[in-house]
Amino acid sequence: MIYDEPKILPGGDRFIEMELGNELNFDLNFLVHALCSKIREANISGIIELLPNMASIVVSYEPDKISFDDLKKVVLEHYHQMGSLEDVELLSPIYYIPVLYCDHVTKACWEDYCEKINKKEYDPDLMVRLNKLENYAQLERIHSGTEYWVAALGFYPGLASLIALDPRCRLTAPKYNPPRTWTPKGTVGYGGSVTCVYPANTPGGYQIIGHTPVPVCDMEQRLAAFKDDLALLRPGDRVRFFPVGREEYDYVENRVKDGSYVHNVSNYAKFSIREYHKWLSTLDMKERF
Amino acid sequence: MKFDTPNFSPCGDHFAMVQFGDDASIDLNFMALGLTAILKEGVIDGVLDTNPSYNSVVVEYDFDRITYLDLVKELQKLVEGIGSVDKLILDSRVVYIPALYLDSETRWCIKDYSEKIKQREYDPKFVAHINSLTDEKQLVRVHSGTEHWVVAVCSTPGLPLMRALDPRCFLTSPKYNPPRTWTTLGAIGVGGLSTSIYTTPGPGGYNLIGRIPIPLWDPKQKHAIFKDKVVLLNAADRVKFMPIDLEEFEYIEKRIEDGSYEFNITAYQKFSVGAYKRWAVSVGSKARF
Amino acid sequence: MTVKIEVLKPGLETAVQDFPGRFGFWEQGFPPSGPFDMWSFRLANLLVGNKETAAGLECQFMGPTLFFTEDCVVAMCGADMNSKIDGESMPMWKSILVKGGQELTCGFATKGARAYLAVSGGIDVPDVLGSRSTFHMAGVGGLEGHALKANQIIKTGISNEAPMQGRQVRQSCRPSISTDGRWEIEIVLGPNDDWIDKAGIKIFFDSEWKLQSRSNRTGYRLEGPDLTFAEKAINKGPEHGEHPSNILDHGYPVGSVNLCGQTPIILVNDAPSAGGFINPFTVPSAAFWKLAQSKPNDLFKFRCISVEEAQKLRRDLDSVCNEGSIE
Repeated sequence: MIYDEPKILPGGDRFIEMELGNELNFDLNFLVHALCSKIREANISGIIELLPNMASIVVSYEPDKISFDDLKKVVLEHYHQMGSLEDVELLSPIYYIPVLYCDHVTKACWEDYCEKINKKEYDPDLMVRLNKLENYAQLERIHSGTEYWVAALGFYPGLASLIALDPRCRLTAPKYNPPRTWTPKGTVGYGGSVTCVYPANTPGGYQIIGHTPVPVCDMEQRLAAFKDDLALLRPGDRVRFFPVGREEYDYVENRVKDGSYVHNVSNYAKFSIREYHKWLSTLDMKERF
Repeated sequence: MKFDTPNFSPCGDHFAMVQFGDDASIDLNFMALGLTAILKEGVIDGVLDTNPSYNSVVVEYDFDRITYLDLVKELQKLVEGIGSVDKLILDSRVVYIPALYLDSETRWCIKDYSEKIKQREYDPKFVAHINSLTDEKQLVRVHSGTEHWVVAVCSTPGLPLMRALDPRCFLTSPKYNPPRTWTTLGAIGVGGLSTSIYTTPGPGGYNLIGRIPIPLWDPKQKHAIFKDKVVLLNAADRVKFMPIDLEEFEYIEKRIEDGSYEFNITAYQKFSVGAYKRWAVSVGSKARF
Repeated sequence: MTVKIEVLKPGLETAVQDFPGRFGFWEQGFPPSGPFDMWSFRLANLLVGNKETAAGLECQFMGPTLFFTEDCVVAMCGADMNSKIDGESMPMWKSILVKGGQELTCGFATKGARAYLAVSGGIDVPDVLGSRSTFHMAGVGGLEGHALKANQIIKTGISNEAPMQGRQVRQSCRPSISTDGRWEIEIVLGPNDDWIDKAGIKIFFDSEWKLQSRSNRTGYRLEGPDLTFAEKAINKGPEHGEHPSNILDHGYPVGSVNLCGQTPIILVNDAPSAGGFINPFTVPSAAFWKLAQSKPNDLFKFRCISVEEAQKLRRDLDSVCNEGSIE
């Protein structure tokens, strides 16, 4: 649900959390990012940083420059000034990322978890079973059959939360309980209704279904794509995974290693909310790829 | 070459052609498609249909409602209104087409030509070689790495004439001389700067590099996607080929057969010519996937 | 002039930090980092004639052994690590001239947990994403992205011209580090306090919470009773997650008491920027020094204050961090 009026909640002496709703909803996320842009552009004195996420924005502020009450007033004002989202069109780059599904790297990670922490069903099996799919091929087809919207960055540098734009490709997955203590960098994970690529070897709880040799975060800025930024993705970007075989996976890995890998990103399309809603209404939700 | 002002000429009694230039540069196509998009909104009373092509649009009109000269005046106003091609923003779907590259059927077609008509090298090897690519695998990577802009749908029903958008994926190749007498149905061909897909098994001259399992036209409208239009693609669509293996190809064929295949098309983007040009300059053309 | 300092022994995760840390990249997943106890850090800098923002060393539990190649004015503030210069006891909260050829050794912290070593001129390492602070886990900033390693060389910036040795922080201006392992920590309710029911809030404030040993700059894990949840935590959409503490992913204010299941984890300087658990309470910035100086098994009792009171506490802390506190 998108709240009629956003909730402004305090986070200690220098943070507020602005909650715009309480569900995983593309429109709501789009509103979060559009509002965040608007507030950022207004250059409000006293606001230090904005941290948008799925359905909320955390704002860090300098209480000497702006009080909690004034901050609350000004962000609500900006919220109410927002026009209809329907008219928004955003330039949105799309990244094509190759994935080896049901791969050897994540399998080893799962085996290690089973041995050391807790026995659990092989993640692709669990995904197929829970989502009533036919087999791994269909899991691959569905996971790679949609563009994903970068809804948020966070938790770890370079980690993007991706939500499927094609509702027919929304899957569901529980999280590891207890979580893993490590996840190989480049793992493609699925948790709740969100998919992600692990930017580094970090703990994690998502079901792991594939692996990409393509880096999404590079502290050393070795590859061309990281020339200006350490992390590849931003909210409002789109990602599309495409399945590859082991041979192509190895080829890409080698090109990443020798520094010649060229990320496949094109940036000339505007994402139109109105067109997106129209397109959604043409889809037969019962069908699957 | 782009004309300083578009060239208007009558074609018989109820057609008029607007030509923006005389070569295949993509800007001319953008202008043609930009004009077509506006005409489709019905802004000129008397215009019945439009047929855009590489660098021109043929307009069908009702001479009882508008004279040729008045039509030209109105078209001139519209072209002036568009102004610079860089300002154009076009509705543009992305159609994801599964492609079995380097397949056995097209290999046989090439062999048959080589034996019966004229000796030639296996097309993918040949195209890779003359474009200084490492091998056929890189040809696949490069060809499938870009969106292909549908310049026009013409020649035979549903046949798309396409140009690679990513400068790093430009390929060039001479056409068969003499042409083939038949072509594998669904074959993907490259020739000159274009890519095409053979929607009938007729003669052809493009180099064959793979084939697709899905129909691009269906006069019987057996499949739901052809409910409103017997042809799948439109000019200004973008096609992205998704490499698949034989198993996936046969799976898709079955689903086409039983009518349950879900076409993968997104229709929420607008193609910004200005953004495209800036992006194309920023990626350069030296690097290859 | 600049001074070269050799790291003979790195200590237990000693790292370069600057104040206030790294800002502007939070939404890309980079936490602020910076000194955990900003009070001690800022005063140490002022003592040696640096701006309070200059880069210095944060020593955690056990400090490093450093060899100074040239004369350098230094100051150590915060936890008492029984520091010595060439075997002679080094006073805390005071600027000292270390002569070229001398060695500064630190032991284990006896009172408090974190000590800050400021050197005149600050520490000269490259700015990464606008700050010299170290985010050790991700390899960002500081000396080659991580905590100090043996045999590394630290360079100082250009030192203050004026003689800065012999200055000290007034007793009344130093943080009062607990000696009995008990702390009263201020708490502001929110952002998600309405996910805990009244009984649960009472449990939180009435109980004593033990700091678990698996705590660090990423998070302070607390051991204590289970909290009880409000209706909205129990009846909610599936996208939040099953457990009452699960919420749709949201940003984490620095200082949040992040409730992971029934484990409260206070998110501090290097904590993740976002995640899917609720934050019913937040530790205000002025109380961070207490967290920084606490040790595993210390006991916390939380005291509820308002946003305004929390901001006043921070203003008070800021006003102590200036020349007026030095004699």
